[in-house]
This record gives sequence, structure tokens and C-alpha cells, in this order.
Amino acid sequence: MALVETPPGVGHLVKPRKSGLFAEIVRHGGDYLYVAPALLVLLIVIGYPFCYTVYLSFFDTPPSSPNWYFNGIANYIDILTDQSFWSITGNTFYWTIGSTVFSVALGFGAALVVDKEFPGRGVIRGLLLIPWVISAVAAAYIWRWILHSDYGLISSVLMQFGFIQAPINFLDSVSLVMPSLIVVNIWKEFPFAMIMLLSGLQTVPEQLIRAARIDGANTFNVFLHVTLPHLKSVLLITTILLFVGNLNSFVLVYLMTGGGPADASQLWITRVYQLAFQSLQYGQASAFSVILFIVMLVLGYYYVKILTSGDARRSQ
Amino acid sequence: MSAVASKTSLAYRSRPRRRIDPWNIAGVAFMAFLLVFSVVPMLWMLSTSLKGQFAALQIPPEWIPSNPTLEQYALLLSPSSDIGPRFMRFFANSFVVSMTTTLLGVLIAIPAAYAFSRFRFPGRDFLFFVVLVRNMFPVVVFLIPLFILMKALGLVNTYGSIILTYLTFGLPLSIWLLKGFFDNIPEELERAARIDGATRFKAFWLIIMPLTSPGIIATSIYSFIGAWNEYVYAATFLNDESLLTLPVGLQRFFSEFATNWPGLMAAAFIMSVPVVVMFIVLQKYFVRALTEGAIKA
Repeated sequence: MALVETPPGVGHLVKPRKSGLFAEIVRHGGDYLYVAPALLVLLIVIGYPFCYTVYLSFFDTPPSSPNWYFNGIANYIDILTDQSFWSITGNTFYWTIGSTVFSVALGFGAALVVDKEFPGRGVIRGLLLIPWVISAVAAAYIWRWILHSDYGLISSVLMQFGFIQAPINFLDSVSLVMPSLIVVNIWKEFPFAMIMLLSGLQTVPEQLIRAARIDGANTFNVFLHVTLPHLKSVLLITTILLFVGNLNSFVLVYLMTGGGPADASQLWITRVYQLAFQSLQYGQASAFSVILFIVMLVLGYYYVKILTSGDARRSQ
Repeated sequence: MSAVASKTSLAYRSRPRRRIDPWNIAGVAFMAFLLVFSVVPMLWMLSTSLKGQFAALQIPPEWIPSNPTLEQYALLLSPSSDIGPRFMRFFANSFVVSMTTTLLGVLIAIPAAYAFSRFRFPGRDFLFFVVLVRNMFPVVVFLIPLFILMKALGLVNTYGSIILTYLTFGLPLSIWLLKGFFDNIPEELERAARIDGATRFKAFWLIIMPLTSPGIIATSIYSFIGAWNEYVYAATFLNDESLLTLPVGLQRFFSEFATNWPGLMAAAFIMSVPVVVMFIVLQKYFVRALTEGAIKA
């Protein structure tokens, strides 16, 4: 790194430019025009609502009255001491971790399989990607039909083969609802992990694999010592993106169960929606949102750190 | 060229001692499982959509309908049925919104990505961070403040509200991917063009853009699909029936007739066709864009 530093003779030519941040900003004034539209959109759609949500989280907003009353951290205390909070938190992490781990594992396997050359590879790759591409609304209805309590495909098939006597009520059963939703979610998003990791696999230098082969490594060893280390950052990014996506994902659960039965599939995000649009408790919904932000922020930090570490390496 | 040569020589070398690798058998079995898992639900949607309403409720169910009928598709696509004109309207609305979002998104993302790649202005890293963390924020929690804001701007019940919000879905990925492309294009190429008398814009348009096209195609697909499939914002900001997009229309008009599963499946099928076709045709750009633009190990 020391090698790229400014040679001593040139140093004095560069130095005078470092005359304060403001001058620097003015000097680069034109550059900001390029990013201005993107930042303006993000400011309106993300920046403003974010600040407003934080602000609103400190207010009591009774649905019956048009006035809002400042009440400090009372909303937060209400949420954290609510009896159902920890069970909803449990559901949220069950949902998020379960979906993420299996999606990444399945997607990784799929990527390894479709990375090899074989006839029909393009078609199979395309077919595997379909669930990811279709709307979550369509997916929710397709699976509600498949898991239907009376006419659902899965129950019918299991009954036909005599595994069960009566249809299984997947989405109305307190114990089966979460696993069922998670399976649907994995179905919907393992292709994303597949495509990310497939792209990563294609950057593994072939010479490296061939060299390992020549040295006598078998398929498993090549995978463990060549492929896997090479994919580390892609794997991390994919996992974080899916984790965050699952923590935020709303439509599938909302349209399939609405958080029921008896809160058995209630997640943070569906609870926020319920508080805001069914109970009309904007203050509480906002406080709950802030709790979500804090978790996100921690993840976001690592996500950006990984993404920009590649950036730093490239610009060196 | 040399890659081709070495590949053929490798194939030639490995042919004589070909043996069955247990990992290959496991791979084939795994792929079969994945295909069944992915495709059967889609086929079941298609199969159900071709059944009559009573045939759909038959137990045990028919995998392939014995009396296939296009009745539901005819209803959805005929201008004289009750649901037909509405459904076509939703379809057209979705198309307009998704196209506008995609075009605007690309127009906004290209200069931003270019600036993040080429310029070193103060606050660059922070602003890039701001762009990247967008996806960390859940859509649902912004609904209240955004609704209030859209109302103040007079955008409720207009496409302006949803297009504005949809723009932010595609932006982080677009900017990140395109920046990767720009990073890989040597600055000298541009400089040479400028020495030859091209303006920065002309150098960009003639030299940089063509090299970035897989990235632009990939980010366009991503934005289009995101906008086409979005439900939450559209459900909140649009009330007027004539403005609804497909996902919201589907939810509002079919959940009330929850017993008409063939109709619902036909509508879901029609809704899925454009994005699935588009993605299958263009997926190679997507993989290429990720490989060339973003994922650099």
C-alpha cells in the first residue's frame, strides 16, 4: 500500500487543494448533480418516513381522538411488556432463520447442480427460477389452494396413499402453520440464493479447480478447499440479504394466514401492520417499527461492510 | 480460444477413465427433487385453472383435468363478461406502472452509479451507504408516514405515489450492479475518447454504455418484476378501482369469491406469464451482470 502513496516530489502540488470540506464540496459541486435524483427519491421515500416514524414512536395516538400526546418511551414499554411480544419475537426468528438457512442451503445445492454443463441446463435453470419471479400474491393463493383444508393437493395425495385418514388443516393448525409458511417461503426464495451463488461459482477460476484435481483432490475436497473459500463473500451477502428480506417480508404471511390462528404465525411485521391499520395505534406501530429498524441497522452495517470491502479492493 | 482448446483436451483425457462419481448420482437426485418442488405447484395452478368449478373440488383430485376448459380464461379476457374489462384494466395498469418505473429507474441509476464509480466527492462513501441500506427498511413500517406525505403532495390515488415508491426498490441493486460495471471499464478508454474531442456525455454514450448493456438489461428486468409484483404500497395508495394493479386487483376481486379456485388460478397464471417469460428469456443477462458487475471474489 505504501507503494501507491504520492511520491515526495508531487506532494506539494496536491496539498493546497485540501482546504477544508466546504471548498472540497464546492469543487466537486457538479458531481452531486449525478447522484441528486437518486438521493432525492430515497430522501422522500425512505429518509422522511424514517424520521417521522422515530418521531411518532414517542407519541400516544389514540384512534378516538385527532390529537397526539407526547408520552416518552411508554410505547416501547408497552410493546416490550406485552404478553405476546416474546412469542411473536420467537415466531419472527423462527420464520427468518428457518427460511434463510434452508433457502441458502437449497440454493447452494441448486447452484452447484446447475453450474455443471449438461443438455437442458438452461431450461432447468429457468424452471427453478419461476417461483422467485412470480408475485408473492400469486404464490400466496397457489399455496393456499395446495394447502386447502378440504380440497388441498397435499392432503388429498397423502390420503390417497393411506398415510393419513383425514385432511390436514395446515394453515389453521397452531403447530403446523409456521412450518407450512416457511416451506412456502423457501419455495419462493431459494432460487434467489441459487442465482447469486451461481454467479459466484462462475467467478471461480477454472485453473484453480483443475490444479486441485491434478493434485489428486476429489470432488468434495475441491468443493471444500477451492470453491467454498472463493464463495465466502457471496455466501455472506446472500445470507444477509435473505435474512433482512425475511425479517421484512409481509405479503406471504399476511395473505396466507394474516398472523393467525391465534397469533401462531404473527410476526413483527404483521403485528406492525395490525397495530397501524386495524387498531389504528400509529404511535405503537411506529415504536414497534423502530425496534425493527435497530435489528436491521446492525445487519445493514455488516452488509455494507462486505459490499464495500470488494469496492475498496477494486479501487486500489 | 485457448480456453476452448484446453476444454476439449480435458474432455479427451478424461474419457478413457470415466467412472460413475457418487456425487453425480446425488446431484441428479437432488435436481429431481428441486424440480418437483419448484414446478409442481406451478403445474397445479395451471391444471386447476383448466378445470370447471366443480371438477376442481373433486376428491381425489385429477392431476390432469379430464374435461379441460378455457372457460375461466375466456371470462377473464372477454370484454363482455363481468370480470373481463376490470381484469384487462388491471393488466394494462400494471404494465404502465412497471414500464414507467423501469425507465425512470434506469435513467436515475445510471448517472448515480457512474458518479459513485468515477468521482471522489466528499460524502461519497456515506451516500453510497445510504443507497445500499435502502433494502434494510421494511416497506410496511413506512406506510403511515408515506400515506400522510402522499396525501399532502396530492398523490394519493394516482400512479405518482406508487411509481415514486417503486423507484426505490430497484435503485440500490441497479446502482450497485452498474457501479461494478463502470469500475471494470478502464478510465483510459473514456479519456482517450475525450482527447479525441468527445464530450463527457458523448464518451459515456458511445464508449461506456455499450459495455454496460448487460447490467442495464439486468437491472431493468429486476425493476420491472419488482414493480409488477408489488402489493403493499399499491393496496394502500390506490383506492379507485380503475387504477388498481394486478396483485391488488387479484386480492380484492378474488378473495371474496374464494370458492372460485379455477378463476383465481387462471388470473394468477395470466399475471405470472409476462414476468416469467421475460425472466427466462433474459436470465442469462442477469447471471452475467451479477458475475461481471457485482460478484467479484
